[in-house]
Amino acid sequence: MGRQRILLGVILALTLIAIGVIVKIPTPLGLDLRGGSQITLQAKPTEAVPEITPEKLQGVQTVVERRINGLGVSEAVVQTIGQDQLLVQLPGVSDPEQAERVLGGTAQLDFRSQKQGTERALNDLLLEREGLLSSREQLQNSSDTTMIATNETALQKTEQAIAVLFEKTGLTGDKLRDSYAEPTAANSWEVVLVFDEQGGTQFAEITKNLAGTGRGLGIFLDDSLLSAPTVPPQYAEAGITQGRASISGGFDTQEASDLAVQLRGGALPVPVEVVENRTVGATLGRDSIQSSIYAGVLGLVLVLIFMVVYYRLPGLVADIALMIYALLTLALFNLLGVTLTLPGMAGFILSIGMAVDANVLIFERTREELRTGKTLYRSVEAGFYRAFSSILDSNVTTIIACIALFWVGTGLVKGFALTLGLGVLVSMFTALTCSRTLLLYLISFPALRKPHWFCPNLSPTAKPQAEATS
Amino acid sequence: MKLQVIRQRSLWWTISLTVILMGLIAMGISWQQLGAPLRPSLDFVGGTRLQLERDCSVPENCAAPIDPAIVRQILDEQGLATSSIQVLGESQQGLLIRTANLSPEERSRLQTALSEELGTFDPQLTQIDSVGPTLGRQILSSGLLALIISFAGITAYLSLRFQFDYAVLAMIALIHDVLVTAGIFAILGLALGVEVDSLFIVALLTIVGFSVNDTVVIYDRIREVYKANPERSINDIVDDAVNQTLTRSINTTLTTLLPLVAIFLLGGETLKYFALALIIGFVAGAYSSIFIASTLLAWWRERVERGAIDASLESRLEPEPSDIASDES
Repeated sequence: MGRQRILLGVILALTLIAIGVIVKIPTPLGLDLRGGSQITLQAKPTEAVPEITPEKLQGVQTVVERRINGLGVSEAVVQTIGQDQLLVQLPGVSDPEQAERVLGGTAQLDFRSQKQGTERALNDLLLEREGLLSSREQLQNSSDTTMIATNETALQKTEQAIAVLFEKTGLTGDKLRDSYAEPTAANSWEVVLVFDEQGGTQFAEITKNLAGTGRGLGIFLDDSLLSAPTVPPQYAEAGITQGRASISGGFDTQEASDLAVQLRGGALPVPVEVVENRTVGATLGRDSIQSSIYAGVLGLVLVLIFMVVYYRLPGLVADIALMIYALLTLALFNLLGVTLTLPGMAGFILSIGMAVDANVLIFERTREELRTGKTLYRSVEAGFYRAFSSILDSNVTTIIACIALFWVGTGLVKGFALTLGLGVLVSMFTALTCSRTLLLYLISFPALRKPHWFCPNLSPTAKPQAEATS
Repeated sequence: MKLQVIRQRSLWWTISLTVILMGLIAMGISWQQLGAPLRPSLDFVGGTRLQLERDCSVPENCAAPIDPAIVRQILDEQGLATSSIQVLGESQQGLLIRTANLSPEERSRLQTALSEELGTFDPQLTQIDSVGPTLGRQILSSGLLALIISFAGITAYLSLRFQFDYAVLAMIALIHDVLVTAGIFAILGLALGVEVDSLFIVALLTIVGFSVNDTVVIYDRIREVYKANPERSINDIVDDAVNQTLTRSINTTLTTLLPLVAIFLLGGETLKYFALALIIGFVAGAYSSIFIASTLLAWWRERVERGAIDASLESRLEPEPSDIASDES
């Protein structure tokens, strides 16, 4: 009986912890439930880049992330899927057109020369942009969408004002072959640019005109100024030749490699295409979650009633075990950060079905044992013992199906497999431990030791023996 | 009450074969009409689906129901004459349009034209699904791959826990369930235009996972009864095992169906046909476990045993499994 008590305590503690977890950690909802846009981008190989390597995809991801920051969406997520795809999740976006246009376009890197007499204006604007960028950083994790939007508009205006101060030169990113960060002196890094032949010639020409004037060479990515280095006077005669140049300016390692990645990313000649777009308006998502949850809960309540009516006392125990099961599983989802989608909810509801099945197997077995005239205690023990192999086999086969789904499935399918699989694992524990401990604890009270509470219409011949011992 | 599964096995087999045959005919017809055995949604073939609803907080916006003729005209002007149009909702303020896969520019042009003619739409109630054709094929092939992998995994596990012939027969029962569900959806696709999407593949996989449970529980019992009295005939053993587990099979199916029926009748549009596919599949699964997997096992074991006896009588003539396999259908 001591072991029974300990188990009972463990179950109680787990339940309390689960409730705590559910209250403390919010359940992350999928975009199909909270509303938003999910966009899949496909990186396309070209003649110059016949294969999408992980590095190339990384470059695409960097560009995409930067562009999303430009959209001012809070809590946006960018993930790579497989070899050549990116999944972009934009919560709260119900008009994805701008996002698609911005994400789908190829990044344009180009080099421009600063117009005469704009040095001071540029300085002021750069300072202004600095301030707006830092406030964007602060706003990124807040949910104040109006503030984010205002900041974005101001930022865009500044970018435009900066762009006006420069002249296009015709030298663009497709002529940049490589760029990387390189250390110069102690603690100082520079970014090296490598052009192709034609680009090298153009670059020499542009730098020749700018050298020594104090005007900057504007490096623009998607019309936003990345960097505006000046060209030292010694290049006034021939410009910077040989198709190589370096931008120095007291960068640290991180800044230098960021700029290099951005330049490389902008120069990346892999076009991306929007291959999938799933957008659900916030209200629509809320409506579908509500009606499905109500329906699921209604169905489960019917199941709980059925269990008590049909299986009596064990049915009641099973109901308690099921509620503990639901709490534990939800807490586990929250702990693991499982995002709840509509198919995920379906998986959860089905896993409750599995949990019920384990109990049904056990109680049917218990009844059979009672009918053969065994005592109550032995029948219950035998019910659990002999149902075990069926429960194990049936759950393992379901888990096999879940693994297959999770392994090769995409998006929504994965969510379903995960919730169903985790649910089945938890249900093995609750059906075998919770139901058993509670039931054995209950029949330790003589008042509850009534076989007809376990099996109605038990034949009278079996009764006396059943009540005799325990 | 005792169910005579073995004695009436030709009846059970006929019922299953009839349902499957009807499904196969429906698949054949839709193959001719649609080029696919089931009516595929844009998940598999690519395309754009726009669901819009008028913003009724704007005055005069929802005065009249949406006229599909105007929508048709707009679509024709945009060169999207082959699209399908459906007006939704009780007061006819919702609109569902399915077209070929549109680029973001094409789609926004269409949306602008629509709201110019029909009034403002509420972005909070908008749903957009756009899938490129390549991605559609990818979703389909990864789904089918998942199905094949889980079949193989389950067969391996059952061969390990039981015996190889148990596993193969359980697999036939599973294929039965998948065929019944797919067949009924082929009929629904022809009759009501019901489409299958990636959730349908999820449903098939769940059906496989669940229905193998029922079969395993019955096989488990057959094995147990057989161990207790190995001298009894396989037919009696199977009959007993099915009857002993019958209440459990019915109750489990019932408790699983309750939430699904609730979701089908009351739940959101997204999960409606998902729930229906599961309902059909689980019923088929329970049926096939009770009536098909069990009777097949009895029939097969009987043949093998008789073959073994014949073989020992006729001086080691090998039983020929190939004959048996060809008799099967």
